Amino acid sequence: MPALKVRATVRSINKLTIEDMTSIREKYKDPKRIGAKASILVCGGSACKARGSAKIQETLSDELQKKALDKDVSVYETGCNGFCNQSPVMNVYPDMTLYQAFKPDDVPTIVDEHFTKGQPADRFVYKDLKDKKSIPNRQEIPFFSLQSRRVLSKSGLIQPDDIEAYIFHNGYSGLVKAVTSMKPKEIVREIKDSGLRGRGGGGFPTGLKWEICMLMADETKYIICNAGPISRSIIENDPHSIIEGMVIAGRAVGAAKGFIYVREPDNLFILRRLHTAIDRARGCGFLGENIFDSGFNFTIDVSFGAGTFICGEETALIRSMEGKRGYPTPKPPYPAQSGLWGKPTIVDNAETFANVPLIIENGQAWFRSVGTQASPGTKIFTLGGAVNLNGLIEVPMGTTFRTIVEEIGGGLKKKSTLKAIHIGGPTGGVIPASAIDTPTTYEDITAAGVIVGSGNLIIMDTNTCMVNEALTAMEFGHGESCGKCVPCRIGSRVMYDKLLDITEGRAALEDLDMLQSLAFEVRRTSLCGLGQTSPTMVLTAIKYFREEFEAHIKDRWCQAGKCRSLSTFVIEPKTCTGCGSCARKCPQGAISGEKKKPHLIEQAMCIQCRSCFETCPFSSIRIEAGVTEEVDSW
Amino acid sequence: MEGNILIVDDDDIVVKSCDSVLTPEGFTITGTTDSTDAIELIRDNDYDIVITDLNMPGVDGFELIKQVNAIKPSVGIVVITGFASQQNIKDILQLGIIDYISKPFAPHTLLETIMKATYLVRKIKAIPAPEADTEPDAKKKTEALNNIINEFKAVPGSLLRVLESAQDLIGYLPPSVQRFIANGLRIPVSEVYSVVSFYPYFTMKARGKHHIRVCVGNACHAKKSGQIMTRLKRNLNFNDDNITADGKFSYETVRCLGACGFAPIVEIDYDTHGAVDPDKTLDILKDYH
Repeated sequence: MPALKVRATVRSINKLTIEDMTSIREKYKDPKRIGAKASILVCGGSACKARGSAKIQETLSDELQKKALDKDVSVYETGCNGFCNQSPVMNVYPDMTLYQAFKPDDVPTIVDEHFTKGQPADRFVYKDLKDKKSIPNRQEIPFFSLQSRRVLSKSGLIQPDDIEAYIFHNGYSGLVKAVTSMKPKEIVREIKDSGLRGRGGGGFPTGLKWEICMLMADETKYIICNAGPISRSIIENDPHSIIEGMVIAGRAVGAAKGFIYVREPDNLFILRRLHTAIDRARGCGFLGENIFDSGFNFTIDVSFGAGTFICGEETALIRSMEGKRGYPTPKPPYPAQSGLWGKPTIVDNAETFANVPLIIENGQAWFRSVGTQASPGTKIFTLGGAVNLNGLIEVPMGTTFRTIVEEIGGGLKKKSTLKAIHIGGPTGGVIPASAIDTPTTYEDITAAGVIVGSGNLIIMDTNTCMVNEALTAMEFGHGESCGKCVPCRIGSRVMYDKLLDITEGRAALEDLDMLQSLAFEVRRTSLCGLGQTSPTMVLTAIKYFREEFEAHIKDRWCQAGKCRSLSTFVIEPKTCTGCGSCARKCPQGAISGEKKKPHLIEQAMCIQCRSCFETCPFSSIRIEAGVTEEVDSW
Repeated sequence: MEGNILIVDDDDIVVKSCDSVLTPEGFTITGTTDSTDAIELIRDNDYDIVITDLNMPGVDGFELIKQVNAIKPSVGIVVITGFASQQNIKDILQLGIIDYISKPFAPHTLLETIMKATYLVRKIKAIPAPEADTEPDAKKKTEALNNIINEFKAVPGSLLRVLESAQDLIGYLPPSVQRFIANGLRIPVSEVYSVVSFYPYFTMKARGKHHIRVCVGNACHAKKSGQIMTRLKRNLNFNDDNITADGKFSYETVRCLGACGFAPIVEIDYDTHGAVDPDKTLDILKDYH
């Protein structure tokens, strides 16, 4: 896919016409016309930044200058490629060679081999996980080829601040079509027919929401993009797609004002990127008054919260924008009827807005060509945990978790066995390994008892303790509860205490039933989405891993060795070869023994850091039930 | 408990009995029966607490307290007196002492009072000393805050933005600032307080020169952000308000910074550090002076 560096030219300050947009597209089709034979696209995602992408760009420029290639080869920084596991990553256009996992010091070698010798530098290209064969081309790497990137199609290939690069990739053509040749009703019908559902987690049909808002008689209406952490990747990579989607939404429902709500006011990187994008879009005439001579006006402002999870809930978000405490309010009335300052308001997240221009440009039939009948289109997931390749992925809805874990994610890490998949971020839950063939649709995920939520997938191996994970989830639940309604405020606290009792060996079996019914009630009676979803982890963990909870209570045994009071690390004398590697790793010096003879762990000194368990090459370390301390009764 | 204590009483028995109660508890005790001598000692040594009698020949207790306040204002004063008349108590309290004990006293009363006083003195000493040009600085800040308020006065729902700008300006939002903003925006102080106390971004406590945020969200938790926390706490000596004694660093834990792909995350001021190796936590801090 072509992508070239475009500097902000003087011309782009003037309003663009449709002809200008066509000429931009023509101009960049042929790379020679802007005087470059090749471009090096250095990934500037958070992961690559941390591994020195700035240093890499510097070294690249120096190296190219040394070899007198700087006129033919340009270097620039893109948004995140999503291939974070292999960071740092850089692509060389036009042959789309992807270099990964190298150090700034390796740059001269890569430049030398790639440009002077004309061969991809084999040491730094991706190697297939199974047959170790080199795959230099980005598009052929399974991690990319198995995805179906629509919203993320430009991610990692364009400079996010560059509006001309966005236009070149057919950007803003959806906006032009919506504004110049479609009636608001037609836009709403197109979105409704496409079956697009809110990507913020709830999965409410976007078209229906827009229709409700469109039919309201109020003169003032608002569009809000909820740019919470989930949306961070899209803003970082492709901010113009969100702006374009918001303008189309404004046109559809009759709103003239949009806000992008950023949760943390100190996130300067995101704010700078948003302000740049809004300025450029306004300069080109995609925002402002009389957009493309249609008489339609639309402006966008950035609005901040002050960092709290509850403000991802739409009614709480609106209260926070009004300068109040971020308390949610009961629905109905829905924000589409009465939202910001009592006016009809559309609140959607960035991924939803980024899908809109694509639907308008290509039509609802194209959108429906992937995904399922009830959940069409694609969904972005963040893939992490015990898989070989983690990162940001976009797959058609209905793709099974098996495909995601085994093919895109490259299977589980060495010595790991799949135990569960955690879906939906901090308020999400787990499905067991046996449910790996569940398709990723709203219906199937909800039927399994979990939520799509933020689209965060954590692949958990057998070293994970479900009780401990539920405890972490409830710590989050009671910590982030806004305190307005009783079930969430008190219920989550009581659940946390009960789980703490279980992990510390103070609970009885009745507590488990009480915990389950309490979690059910909190979900049923809480006012907003946070309270309704925060018990998800508790409910699903008990549903699928009840025997593990029972083992904690009855046998005082945490098989994963994560609950300190309920586990003891013991060396199996039969298989221990006495290699001493565990003794060297032990931070407490609790392991002793003669060389080549079975070692012993001094339990009084052991702090259960698990380092011996993870080190042992012969799997000779067992985790047994916790030692019951005999308490004298008096 | 550790602490450097000077006892001044013309009665030798009081000095000895204080010594016998406090020394076994870990305090370092110096005693004198001559109050003139005491002033010299205070000038030359670094005491946490001075315990003094009121009625003494030569320089009396009142005079001694005044002198201590002049020479070393950070030293805490505890008075032991047999003349606990209402007037006397009122006078000495006005001089800025921490507490007083009436003779005769039980050993545990003495111990408890001294422990409380030492604790208070420590806390006061931990607060960074105000910079020299406080006066004009405060004026400038008041002016800047007024400008912020005037800018947003007419914008509905702008309280959050005013508070954000104010925190950016002053560093934190103590009650006085909240009152000032409430007056300026013509809204109840309770409304300002309700917003400040709700959002984790706002702080009512002063922060260090560099503010460290450690993410303990589920991805970072899984990648051992707890160990980062332990290392910071062990090496930096934070006080109860999570600030180091020199005011250089302060910390808080946050639940999710939205960069789970590269856990664990540590944020210092505006810089995000990803994939922090717990063993190398302290290396990151080297760049912050």
